[in-house]
Amino acid sequence: MDKEKILKDLENIVGKDFVSNKAEDLYIYSQDPGASLPRPVDFVVMPSTVGEIQNLVRSANEHKIPLVPLGGGLTLSGLVIPVKGGIVVDMKRMNKIIEINELSKYALIESGVTSGQLLSHLNENFPNLQPPVPDAPPSATIAGNVLIHGSGYLSQKYGDHGAMINGLEVVLPDGKVCKLGSCAVSKFWFARGPIPDLIGLFISSFGTMGIITKLSIQLFDKPKFREVVFGLLNDPKDIPNILLKITETGLAEDVLLGKQDKPDWMKGYVFVIAYVTGESQEEIDSHIKSFKRVYRKAKARYMKTPDRIRTAYLEKPIFAATAADFRKGGGFEYVGANMPLENIPEAYKRGAEISKKYGIIPTLGSRLIGGTHNIVMFFSYSFNRADPKDMENARNALHETNKLALELGGIPWKAELVGQQLILEKMDPNYKKLYNTIRSTLDPNRIMNPGNWEVNK
Amino acid sequence: MWLIYGIISGEIPWSQGLANVIYACSTCGNCIENCRFEKFNDFLVDMIEAARVEAVNSGFCPERQKALLERTINPEKYNPYDEPNSDNEHLKKKYNLPDEAEWVYFIGCTSNYRQKNLRDATLRFLKKANINFTLIDEHCCCSPIIRTGQISPVKDFINYNITQINNTGAKKVITSCAGCYRTLKKDWIKFGADYGFEIYHTVELVKELLDEEKLKFKSEYNKILTYHDPCHIGRHMGLYEVPRDVYKQIPGINFVEMKRNKENAWCCGAGGGVKIGYPDWALEISKERLEEAKETGATVISSVCPFCRTNLQDSNDKFNINLEVIDLIEILDGLDFEITEKS
Repeated sequence: MDKEKILKDLENIVGKDFVSNKAEDLYIYSQDPGASLPRPVDFVVMPSTVGEIQNLVRSANEHKIPLVPLGGGLTLSGLVIPVKGGIVVDMKRMNKIIEINELSKYALIESGVTSGQLLSHLNENFPNLQPPVPDAPPSATIAGNVLIHGSGYLSQKYGDHGAMINGLEVVLPDGKVCKLGSCAVSKFWFARGPIPDLIGLFISSFGTMGIITKLSIQLFDKPKFREVVFGLLNDPKDIPNILLKITETGLAEDVLLGKQDKPDWMKGYVFVIAYVTGESQEEIDSHIKSFKRVYRKAKARYMKTPDRIRTAYLEKPIFAATAADFRKGGGFEYVGANMPLENIPEAYKRGAEISKKYGIIPTLGSRLIGGTHNIVMFFSYSFNRADPKDMENARNALHETNKLALELGGIPWKAELVGQQLILEKMDPNYKKLYNTIRSTLDPNRIMNPGNWEVNK
Repeated sequence: MWLIYGIISGEIPWSQGLANVIYACSTCGNCIENCRFEKFNDFLVDMIEAARVEAVNSGFCPERQKALLERTINPEKYNPYDEPNSDNEHLKKKYNLPDEAEWVYFIGCTSNYRQKNLRDATLRFLKKANINFTLIDEHCCCSPIIRTGQISPVKDFINYNITQINNTGAKKVITSCAGCYRTLKKDWIKFGADYGFEIYHTVELVKELLDEEKLKFKSEYNKILTYHDPCHIGRHMGLYEVPRDVYKQIPGINFVEMKRNKENAWCCGAGGGVKIGYPDWALEISKERLEEAKETGATVISSVCPFCRTNLQDSNDKFNINLEVIDLIEILDGLDFEITEKS
């Protein structure tokens, strides 16, 4: 690999100020906030146009050097740390909000737009509309979230955030630009079909199929009132029953569960956290009454929410990463596994056992995705980033948890490299073959984030 | 923070490029406000400044910032502006100031050597307000060298200035400089100083006089004005409402807020050694602030910091933003007011 030549090419494409191979810059991109070990990076570039990305892809093909697209870099599972070196393509400069369509209710944005940016843009200019918001810091990009089957705010009601994609503009691994969704046919980015739906190829494939440059994401009406209703459940075995009863009401905007041993006041309970919305306070009060009844019938106790907690839970995003602060060093990663409701009680029980085995305070949670169709389960592990042994301990806990999720019929979400291999071991051989055939056809030089979803490893 | 960890752990070696990253931060403290990790968010700026001390100790302090120390310790200068040290005797004579007084006006280097209008406005205000004050032969408060990690002479400078202040018998020290205010009140203590006088920013005195109904305005300031929170007064010291209360009591003023204000105010871009180290970057940051001020419909952007005033003015001129940049004390200096005993 002629690194001098590559550097010159990259400088010609994006300009000298937006390419670096300096140690201090590469250091940042060689790791993420999770427990993955750092891996070397050769270059980082920050393109600002689709044309520049096309040229980057062509150049990478010429030099046979990997490209790794990066949004906010917050997956925690090392998905944007290059596995085989190469060029990290940091999308932060492509941050234009191109269009807000108030009638068809979508936002057409460049892929570097952050969730905080879109939320604040809508709050200021379109206060009746709201976007899906991931349980991640506001610097997470919308694209990064939806392209990993992200979930968060509004997921109970409308499904995972990947399902909210109306359309994509993609630079394919050969440098061609391709539009997917209704925008492939129409000037409106209003729907995903009705044409063969290829958008799914780009979701949870972790940048192996191309680089997303634009996307259309659904927006939703914003209710005037929103409230959080807490319930306390003693036994995780009662979780399926209470969730079914909650979703039967059709009143919940979102539903979260939490079970953790710290802070002390949380120990011993499963916290049921339901959000209700309405057009008036009377409507909210009526919903709260309904939930009190539901909780009572489902062996749970209604908990009057202290203001501090209420405020924290009504924030967007919810500060889910609070769990990361339980120990010195600030490290935090979790297995987020999509699970069938049937095995959620077992997941809580055995998840806590894994935490205890590895000496980590049990911190478990879940979020409903589209009713009880899919429960995303969070098994969180905090660690001291300054202690390599503690990080290894967390990685071992994560690995064991991935195995547990698969054993219980679930699938680890945004899985790190070893987790991907565990999934591939269980995957239908023809699914793997189909995926690999498509990938090899699109990317014969294997330049797009190689090392991820490696079927033949 | 990752880079700082990388340095401490030895994963990345010091280099000039790395030092430039560490030094390009204006240490405005917005990270403290936005970081949700309560166990350590209070220390984020301290960590950046500690990393700069490491840079200095490892020989990687950038050249331009090095000049701050060289000038400050020069016995002919004792200020970061490379100007001959002023012992302030000419000002004492001009304003007929005693050797001993209840208050010391600590002018600060920016006001004394660059924003003299602000210094003179403060002197006139204090005289008019019948404050029993004097000046000292002050040496730099050390804010620039502390912010850039060049801390070796700091204790000596603090001791010198405290001795000078004590020699006047003053029980109160007042300054119109946000940087000096923060340094005297916070950093001097951090460096082990034990002094018996109180520290005031001029705006606090004005507020006190207004609250006690001793200061009565006799003229109006008929302009639309927005207030820029200096980081060293706002986020670093928590003074948000005091300046606002003062501006709002000026007759005729139409006070408007910028979108980002108080804890979330956008920095002027000058602090932390950025103005000297990366002047273009400092002006770019300031440009964003001025454009935000413009959005409010204000014709005036005002602050209580000579350093903010300098950078906002420089950026205003460079990018033809066409705002009036002025310090609160300069506004007061242009107004008629009378000082009476408490009614």
